[in-house]
Amino acid sequence: MFSGITKVFLGLTTVDKATKPRRRRNFAVPYRPFPVIFRAFFMDYPVQYCRHMLNGLSGSLESYLDLLSVRQKLIASNIANVDTPGYKTRDVDFQTEFQSLMDGGQSHATEVTGLKTNNDGNNVSLDREARLLSENGVRFSAVSQLLRGQIRLMKSAIDEGKNG
Amino acid sequence: MSLFSALSISASGMAAQRTRAELITENLANAETTRTPDGGPYRRKDVVFRSESAASPFASAMSSAMDGGTGGVSVSEILVDQRDPEQRYLPGHPDAGTNGYVAYPRINPAEEMVDLMSASNGYLANVASMSALKEMIQRSIDLLR
Repeated sequence: MFSGITKVFLGLTTVDKATKPRRRRNFAVPYRPFPVIFRAFFMDYPVQYCRHMLNGLSGSLESYLDLLSVRQKLIASNIANVDTPGYKTRDVDFQTEFQSLMDGGQSHATEVTGLKTNNDGNNVSLDREARLLSENGVRFSAVSQLLRGQIRLMKSAIDEGKNG
Repeated sequence: MSLFSALSISASGMAAQRTRAELITENLANAETTRTPDGGPYRRKDVVFRSESAASPFASAMSSAMDGGTGGVSVSEILVDQRDPEQRYLPGHPDAGTNGYVAYPRINPAEEMVDLMSASNGYLANVASMSALKEMIQRSIDLLR
């Protein structure tokens, strides 16, 4: 779906995972269980992506934007509660939550560990939230540009390439 | 509607910090007030914040079912300082007692200023969060152009 460096930028994987060489299967003949045309229709677009309007890529972009908005909501909530006694920072785990959203699941917020707790039991770090806020904004704008490209492509096809 | 509900979270944070800043200003303005409608000197006020899941009980149950209850903040109560007032020896003052002492509010301007800075920073952080959200909503709308 996304290639290595794009995945790292979108926060779906870490650098060491993305650059790790893939294990190749050792087949005597080229591995091709289905004819190419069959693969294009059935292998690359599994059933859960078919509910999306355009294609598999736009479906995953949509899920990604959904996850970004969930995260934005959590950041807004953390910032609003910056002075609430006993409040604990909440966030989503990007990599696992994206996978669960793609599989049609729900996202779950968890409490963040490893932050310094103040005397009043609050552990919101404004610097962390500011970083996530700008990171989220950049990712949202990048992915919405990609999705816009997909929609434009589809529009161009509908117009038979006249206005594209 | 996730992004729009996040806007109301930021708004609740701004409202809470504004209430806090108003009370701090009131404390500073009344730092030397010896007469109040309830009698006695002015007493220092402070807010207690509480995190809140959503506006209505239904929305609260809904959002906690959806994403574990993310929500804004609200002012749960306003605390009035119950400490004894500060006694200053001013025999000529009209509010002086029989021993010549006047009860003044126990307010430390330095403490109030630090609280005011904290409230102002909190407000600004919420404004930044809200403008980032606005940008995201605008980007979503631009998808259809």
